[in-house]
Amino acid sequence: MKHFYRLIITLTLIAAGAGLVLSLVESATREPIAAQRKIQQLKAISAVLPAFDNSPTEDCVVLEIGRDKKDQPLQRTFYRARQDGQLVGVAFTVLARDGYSGTIEIMVGVDCHEQIVAIEILSHSETPGLGSKITTSAFKDQFRQRDLNNTDWRVKKDGGEIDQLTGATISPRATVAAVKRGLEFFNQHRSQILARSGDQL
Amino acid sequence: MSLTTEFTKGIWDKNPVFKLVLGMCPVLAITTTAENGLGMGLATAFVLLCSNLVVSLMRKLIPAEVRIPAFIIIIATFVTVVQFVLEAWAYDLYQALGIYIPLIVVNCLILGRAEGFASKNPLLSSIADGAGMGVGFTLALVTLGSVRELFGAGEIFGQALFGATYSPVLLVLLPPGGFIVLGLLLAAINRYTQHRA
Repeated sequence: MKHFYRLIITLTLIAAGAGLVLSLVESATREPIAAQRKIQQLKAISAVLPAFDNSPTEDCVVLEIGRDKKDQPLQRTFYRARQDGQLVGVAFTVLARDGYSGTIEIMVGVDCHEQIVAIEILSHSETPGLGSKITTSAFKDQFRQRDLNNTDWRVKKDGGEIDQLTGATISPRATVAAVKRGLEFFNQHRSQILARSGDQL
Repeated sequence: MSLTTEFTKGIWDKNPVFKLVLGMCPVLAITTTAENGLGMGLATAFVLLCSNLVVSLMRKLIPAEVRIPAFIIIIATFVTVVQFVLEAWAYDLYQALGIYIPLIVVNCLILGRAEGFASKNPLLSSIADGAGMGVGFTLALVTLGSVRELFGAGEIFGQALFGATYSPVLLVLLPPGGFIVLGLLLAAINRYTQHRA
């Protein structure tokens, strides 16, 4: 019985020690991690928008884009970029849930004419070396200057205008569809997205 | 055995991938490029070194019946530390390795060295063993990643080697290709070893 208690005590002490180490590391890294995430978000926003001088992470509008399975509202944030007070573009993230594996998170930036400035893949778990090539600029740059009217929003294999990737059609197809849905949502809710700003696109 | 032998055995004689054939899950899953192999190898080597160190220090305190859960807690702690530290101070590397880092916990190579070596050997030998195994694992992952990247994409570390006319063998990058390439490498190594002996 004495031995039995020793087992319990040893394991408890090891787990407590591990917990202590982890909480120390967590508290030491919490601020750098939060700062990193903010920098990364701002970097992604800057990458998809023309030059701006405000801080879009503070000048943003949150809209409900639908309901999930549990009937909880799904939200999307629209980051508004301005230069000298004038609206120059809006960035927002869209999700593609029909990728090859997992969800693809894409940041889309549009300018004053609802044309795409650029897109950026924020996160994905597509097959490395195949679907993961959606993150290459060769693929992403195809989206520049496209809008709902000037483009057939399908991959070439399906008769559209966007090049799929060799050996991977599913990831580009999902990306293209998600960006298109994002543009449509933007188009339909334009006045709400720009509300309170007094600007006209 | 001297410390040098403890270190060098991990690189060839008992190479974790090519000789012990341990930790195949990350080996096959991530070696689609040489760069991924290098990053995963280094992260694993760090965890291996730390866990060998702590397990060796505590080997007389941990009762045999609970050694496995104790080792797993120690390993998981270091993996989480690596994840926090990378995210805070090496964000680019964290992004490249992000999804693979939690996989290190279940890498049986690390548990295997904790159980099979560090729990029975003094501190310095365990550190040498962990370092050697880590280097061996990294080298093996880079080798496998280079071969797969070379044939699957015509590149090594992202540098194109075959020119634009090369049409890549996609199979090599897919999971079955991982098994096939590993099998061929193992066969070549066995052939070479037998020849020498």
